[in-house]
Amino acid sequence: MPRWFRLIFLLVPRESLSVGGWIICGLALTSSIAVLSWPIPQHQGLEFWIFSKGHGDLYETTLTQWNSEKDPKVDMSLLSNEALRQRMLASFLTDTPAADLMEVERNFVPQAFTGPIEDVGFVDLTDRLKQEGIYEQLNEPSFAPWTSRGRIFGLPHDVHPMMLVYRADVFEAAGIDLTQVKTWDEFARVVRPLVKDRNGDGITDYVIGMWATGAFRDHLEALLLQAGGALFDEHDQMQINTEVNAHVLATLVSWMVGPDRIAVDAPEFDAPANKMRLDGRVIAALMPDWLGGVWQMDMPGLSGKVKVMPMPAWEPGGRRTSVWGGTMLGIAKTTEDLESTWAFAKHLYLSEEVAEGLYRSNMIISPVKSFWDRPFYDEPVVYFSGQPYGRLYIELAPDVPIRTSSPFNTYAKDRVANALFRLKEYALETKQYSPDELMDEAHRQLEAAERLVRRQVEQNVFLRSEP
Amino acid sequence: MNSGYPKWAPYVFVTPFVAVFAVFMAYPMLYSVVLSLQQTFGPKRSQFVFLDNFSYLLTDPLFWKAMWNTFVFAAGSVFIQLPLSLGLAMLLNHPKVRGRIFFRLIFFAPALVGTVFIAIMFGLMFSRDGLINFTFHGLFAGFDPEFPWLERFVMGSLILAALWQFVGFNMIYFLAALQNVSKDLTEAAMVDGAGPWPRFLNVTIPAIRPVASFVVLLSLIGSFQLFELAWVLLNNSGGPNDQGLTVVMYLYQSGFINGKLGYASAIGWVLAVLLMCFALIQHRVGRAGEES
Repeated sequence: MPRWFRLIFLLVPRESLSVGGWIICGLALTSSIAVLSWPIPQHQGLEFWIFSKGHGDLYETTLTQWNSEKDPKVDMSLLSNEALRQRMLASFLTDTPAADLMEVERNFVPQAFTGPIEDVGFVDLTDRLKQEGIYEQLNEPSFAPWTSRGRIFGLPHDVHPMMLVYRADVFEAAGIDLTQVKTWDEFARVVRPLVKDRNGDGITDYVIGMWATGAFRDHLEALLLQAGGALFDEHDQMQINTEVNAHVLATLVSWMVGPDRIAVDAPEFDAPANKMRLDGRVIAALMPDWLGGVWQMDMPGLSGKVKVMPMPAWEPGGRRTSVWGGTMLGIAKTTEDLESTWAFAKHLYLSEEVAEGLYRSNMIISPVKSFWDRPFYDEPVVYFSGQPYGRLYIELAPDVPIRTSSPFNTYAKDRVANALFRLKEYALETKQYSPDELMDEAHRQLEAAERLVRRQVEQNVFLRSEP
Repeated sequence: MNSGYPKWAPYVFVTPFVAVFAVFMAYPMLYSVVLSLQQTFGPKRSQFVFLDNFSYLLTDPLFWKAMWNTFVFAAGSVFIQLPLSLGLAMLLNHPKVRGRIFFRLIFFAPALVGTVFIAIMFGLMFSRDGLINFTFHGLFAGFDPEFPWLERFVMGSLILAALWQFVGFNMIYFLAALQNVSKDLTEAAMVDGAGPWPRFLNVTIPAIRPVASFVVLLSLIGSFQLFELAWVLLNNSGGPNDQGLTVVMYLYQSGFINGKLGYASAIGWVLAVLLMCFALIQHRVGRAGEES
């Protein structure tokens, strides 16, 4: 028996444990030593985190080509959206290791902006973008969600203009030419005759999927932006209780309850709601470019039955689009090779091949303006009744509204979604359903929401002192 | 008496536990106290705000809404779920009930199902064209076929889902307690002419009191930690108008969505103190019962 082994029995007398006990202790010790001596894999080259499998499949070719020609190599890892968010924040807030490059979804990026600007975990790309002429190459509104206090922290992946998608077969059968509709008021009036039991099951069928719950907070934000309102302006200053916002809320409630109801609860990514769309119980919805790809995958049964058109405006001659969703490519400050990381980021996001793949696989149009005249965007899409889907979205892309990157935007969206819900309850209680009757209450609800958001903003000691 | 072991041997045995406890429990707990007095943005930026997080919390309408919702859920658990569990346990403890073992398994089985799965299942059942509306509309022609349960009956839906999941689980505790009720005492009460209700009040209840108070405490703690069920059922939110927002959900939203770790720590400590108070009350009540 080796001498060191005998030392154990000096510490713990041999008789104190049974044979089984000693075996368990031995196994515990051996496994602990094995785990501790296991080599931690050292990362080679650049690390790149993504959250979308679709993006990953798309980047594979470009990545393989890059890795065969360039050094350092790039290692791409697919994480769930939530895992990526947690690891990104953990890295920025606690200095744990992060990837050199990260693709981050719009709702998560502002969390990196809650502190002083110099402490944001992403590299400030503003000067590079402007000096290298990239800023001018890309659609300007696409930078907004990644811009905090005037500094840009990410390369935009997309534009995500929105259109109105509708069941062309149903509307044509009813003799309604929706393409002639220019405003939301007109839309509500024109579609109202379709609010009836359309499939004979004894249940009234409505027209558009839009409701006063959290699942629709992105719709709500998109509609506010389209109307010229929003929760924060481009300088991240709060503007919740405004005339425009109150008007949008009051109008939405008039669509949800009362004699002029046209809307129904049918959120996206929801199986029962998809069934309602397939059954023709919901025949219109708001559709950013990316959602077209999702619908094709989730509801192939709608192929050839749906069409898109510019969203009706809130006033004659008003904006016919809005924006929903978005992704950026950010470089972590902890990267050890900033120049190579930046070179790869540009290669990936400014590549025409990737832009074409992005459109063909996900129906997403590129923010690179010089690609917008490419013929693949003009190809008819069978799913959308042969419409040139990409071209229709590109026509609206320059008009996409500017969005905030305020870290309080998610909180504010929730509060305003609650205000909308309470306004709906008020309408039901008082039996006041027209937008004009609801305006005062809409202001009261928005004022209450604004108070809550203001408290939240004012509590942040880091942003309080910044201009 | 000399046991033959070195005096420091016990310390060697407890060292692994103490080390793990110190690193993974004691340090984080103490650090969360410090954090609750700060606002932070990463390791390099922190500012002591002293009791600012707590004073903000006391005047935060959302925190109080979450607290109220949690109390309602806890009350539902204690006053609906536990009596039902006890009733089921008594039924399945009765020798005349056939297939008792089978039914025990059936009622306990939902406790083996994952909470996230239950939330998804109830979400589908409560949806506008879900099973509940379908059934009610089939039974009662006048019933709104698209009744929005998850808008108008948020807390009720949560209580119902939790009831389905835990009624059988708590039943097992009561069943074990009932099987330990002295048969001699029950028979003596019967000989004295006591009917079922007096026997239940004067024999069964005192006998199962320790287990019952333990189950009440367990249910309260579980209710105050409600998170996954509500979070998934209400689509990663507090539901319409935050009707289903719970304290732990608000803690999560504050810390991990809004990035306010200090504020989240303050919420966590208020919750911890509240649960300690419950435990203390339960302890006092239990002891008073034993003494009486």
